[in-house]
Amino acid sequence: MPGEVQAEGLTKDFRTFQRKEGIRGAIENLFVRQYQTVRAVDKVSFRIQPGEMVGYIGPNGAGKSTTVKMLTGILAPTEGTALVNGFVPYRDRTRYTRTIGVVFGQRTQLWWDIAVVESFRLLQRIYEVSDSDYKTQLDTFDQVLEIKRYLNTPVRKLSLGERMRCDLAASLLHNPPLLFLDEPTIGLDVVAKTNVRQFLKEVNRRFGTTMLLTTHDLSDIEELCKRLMIIDHGRVLFDGALAELKRQLWQQMWVRIELREPAQAQALESLSLNNIHRERLDELTYRLVFDREEHTAGEVIRQVVSEVDVRDVFIQEESIEEIVRRIYTGPSVLEFGR
Amino acid sequence: MSVAVYREFARVGFVNILAFRLRYYTGVLTYFLNVTVYYFIWKALYAADPNFAGFTFPEIVTYVAVGWMIRSLYFNNIDQDMAQDVMEGKISMALIKPVSVQWMYISQALGETVFRLAMLSAPVALALALVFPVRPPKSPAHGALFLLSLVGSVLLVAALNFIVGSCAVRLKSILGLLRAKFFVQELFSGLLIPMTLFPATAQKVLACLPFQHIGYTPMLIYLGRLSYPQIALALALQALWVALLAAFGAWFWKVMARKITIHGG
Repeated sequence: MPGEVQAEGLTKDFRTFQRKEGIRGAIENLFVRQYQTVRAVDKVSFRIQPGEMVGYIGPNGAGKSTTVKMLTGILAPTEGTALVNGFVPYRDRTRYTRTIGVVFGQRTQLWWDIAVVESFRLLQRIYEVSDSDYKTQLDTFDQVLEIKRYLNTPVRKLSLGERMRCDLAASLLHNPPLLFLDEPTIGLDVVAKTNVRQFLKEVNRRFGTTMLLTTHDLSDIEELCKRLMIIDHGRVLFDGALAELKRQLWQQMWVRIELREPAQAQALESLSLNNIHRERLDELTYRLVFDREEHTAGEVIRQVVSEVDVRDVFIQEESIEEIVRRIYTGPSVLEFGR
Repeated sequence: MSVAVYREFARVGFVNILAFRLRYYTGVLTYFLNVTVYYFIWKALYAADPNFAGFTFPEIVTYVAVGWMIRSLYFNNIDQDMAQDVMEGKISMALIKPVSVQWMYISQALGETVFRLAMLSAPVALALALVFPVRPPKSPAHGALFLLSLVGSVLLVAALNFIVGSCAVRLKSILGLLRAKFFVQELFSGLLIPMTLFPATAQKVLACLPFQHIGYTPMLIYLGRLSYPQIALALALQALWVALLAAFGAWFWKVMARKITIHGG
């Protein structure tokens, strides 16, 4: 079905050649080669419904791009199957790629040395877009992306933000039901990022385009995606709604306390607070960190204000950013969410 | 997939190369120097034997001049471009498009060929004709058939280079392979020496390979060394080689594409 992605046990192994160092190593390399198999993606399964916008995140080298490359038909999976828009991407490459759009933030699909409009015209021919559809699409995109003024500029002369906008338009000229975006906002300034996000939202709303996007910028996800998948070491660690991630993994809570006078520090230090981490930020400020399963903020604050003269209290929750950092760095947390 | 798309690729190839116009001014000089060097080598050889290698001196001068002139036409960089695209991971940009990767590269190269015809081959031909005693084709008919066989040469080299370029998927750096191909092609296509200078057994073996259809066949037609039935046979063989190599390239690419590994980015 158009706009639908099904991955079943998708796996990709890369065989890399181990180089030995030094002159001796170089000579040995000539005769004996040692290979190492690295599993980039490990039995990844998921399903994306038409019209969904899904964020796919993970630290560098987690297997995000490799997954996208298998789903777009660039790489053949070592094991497992993918069925996208009703095609097996790798096997039916030419027929399949007609039905998708792909944007790689780090590369351009436009021809480097020729004017943007020349690339667009070529893509129009490739995807067999009629002249009238081409014109309508371009007008639609121009409303948000404002690309018309770059059309006669060679791609190599565009700034990253301008190029990205042209690349987005290029990937959607044929109005595909499914769009893959691999780090679409990488390197963009705040204005360009907002512009890209606004555009993607608009396209999804207007055409119901399914989108799978990888990113390192969690605000991309917060802005665009209801659903989030987290991958690390080739495995999917979390797949669910952003709110669900928070509910499951939001663990720590911080209370910042401003004392009325430095002398109150003594009182705070002498409080017996079980399993609450006290951190002095400056003369008047403390941060209390605790597990929200163990304590509630109300209880902690009540205990503190009853003994200490407090001027202000600030409650902070862990941001998505911090939750994700915890997932990336601490393997123990992984089990927590499951 | 319509032919129009590949015509468009050719146009892009043509426009793309406009950015590198300057490269061609030096190119003209290189070709001219090559012919000059060979002219004096052959001149020295013919001083000793006026019928060396089965050609007269005016014939061999024409052979060398026209040989280099057409090389400027059939030459292309498909293999190098592909190797670079594989190294830089740009090959994925070709794979996400619903086009034949083989014909995309070949059409872009053909676009460049048209450009090269105007910017390189024509000036080279003019410069050579003014300086060296180059003969015209044996007859207008031979001239026309020569041009026809050039189309074959261009396609033959393109199909061959695509195969060499496909190896880059596996080998990543194909610099060595490119060098080797370069010398094999220059030698076996008859560019450096006519095939008649090879030992008889080597000639028989080389006749079974595609290389001499790149340069030697068009040259023999130009000089009028082949009868009309022989020309027909040569052109048919040339076409057969183009078809064979193109089919092999399509299959070979498929096998190689399965091994594509693009890390990161």
